[in-house]
Amino acid sequence: MKKHIIPFLLGAIMTLVASCGKQDAEPKKDPTAIRTEIYQELKSVDKLVFASMSITKTAKLEDSEWYKVGKRIAVYSYDSHLRAYVDLSELQPDDLAFDDDTKSVRLTLPPIRTEVTGRDMEMHKEYENIGLLRSEIDSKERAAMKEQANSSFRSEVEENPRFRDKLRATAERKARSYFETLFAENGYTAIVEFKKP
Amino acid sequence: MKYLAKQIIWPLAITAVIIAAVVCAIAFRPAPEPKIEVSPGVVHDIKSYVRLCSVDIYTEVPVLDTINDKVIFGIQKQSGNISFDIEGLRADTVGDTVRVVLPREIVEIYESTEPNSWEVVDTKNISTLGFLKSSRLTAEEENMVKRNIKTRSLRRLNEDGTIKRARAEAAENLRSLLEKVYRKPVVVSDK
Repeated sequence: MKKHIIPFLLGAIMTLVASCGKQDAEPKKDPTAIRTEIYQELKSVDKLVFASMSITKTAKLEDSEWYKVGKRIAVYSYDSHLRAYVDLSELQPDDLAFDDDTKSVRLTLPPIRTEVTGRDMEMHKEYENIGLLRSEIDSKERAAMKEQANSSFRSEVEENPRFRDKLRATAERKARSYFETLFAENGYTAIVEFKKP
Repeated sequence: MKYLAKQIIWPLAITAVIIAAVVCAIAFRPAPEPKIEVSPGVVHDIKSYVRLCSVDIYTEVPVLDTINDKVIFGIQKQSGNISFDIEGLRADTVGDTVRVVLPREIVEIYESTEPNSWEVVDTKNISTLGFLKSSRLTAEEENMVKRNIKTRSLRRLNEDGTIKRARAEAAENLRSLLEKVYRKPVVVSDK
């Protein structure tokens, strides 16, 4: 019986050692693995941009409890940007009507649209008061401040038309003056109108 | 001795235990989230210009950088565009053809305004005895990281041919627009 046990044990140990060193042919993919590749999406557009607007958002972080010694207050700001444009791919041949007798042209442009282009990457430190025994503001906290300011900015722009209206009015003025000048150089008087959105 | 224990030591011990329990409860309780307040947006600047935009960009990039022996790893969503200032464009008419030169491109790269566009995964200090030092990046250090991201993104757009593609498409779009205005053949040269 003992004769059989020794080879059996040796075999079992070898199998165990071999299985420990064995690597999976296909490593299991961790669903929570961090992305380390660049994802990029490019969109061809034909936009004529006439105005942009920068909106400053300010966020304050305060972390003061009665049992903590020292204050921990930070105020940061950054800008978000909007722009106003006409989509030239919507321009139809009928939208340009030349009258060579009166040397005038009627241009009907697509409606002025507005969109958020993005926000500044950097944040400006407006104020900080960190007590001696308190920890500095870290990157995750700054990211949380920016995130909260960003969601507030998005709702402001969606719900409150004052930003978009102001930008649209500036863009309309610029578009009119640009095309009037362009056609005037060609000897034509331009009447610039905009289609309804 | 018995009297001393009953009148002084026991009450003192009980008080010490209570104080220790209160201190522990305060020290080890989960820290409340810091309060964040956001003020309403203020219009900082309005600019008017005439720019022809030919490409809109959306990118997600992993960010790994080291500033002052502090390593940061994060993920950033970017939005941007490539446009061309055509307001002061000079058109030369040669015979029946109008010739214009496409101006230099303007590349704008921002952080996206989509939710969670700047996620900080981790920071660490890699200096000697770094585990004893703070791994927190200051606002200035983080801004340096962000400036580096922008520089790298601009380089990538040049290297992967995006700028070239944007210029070619802008030249075609500009030709189409100016031919409608001038009612003549237009040649847009991309120098």
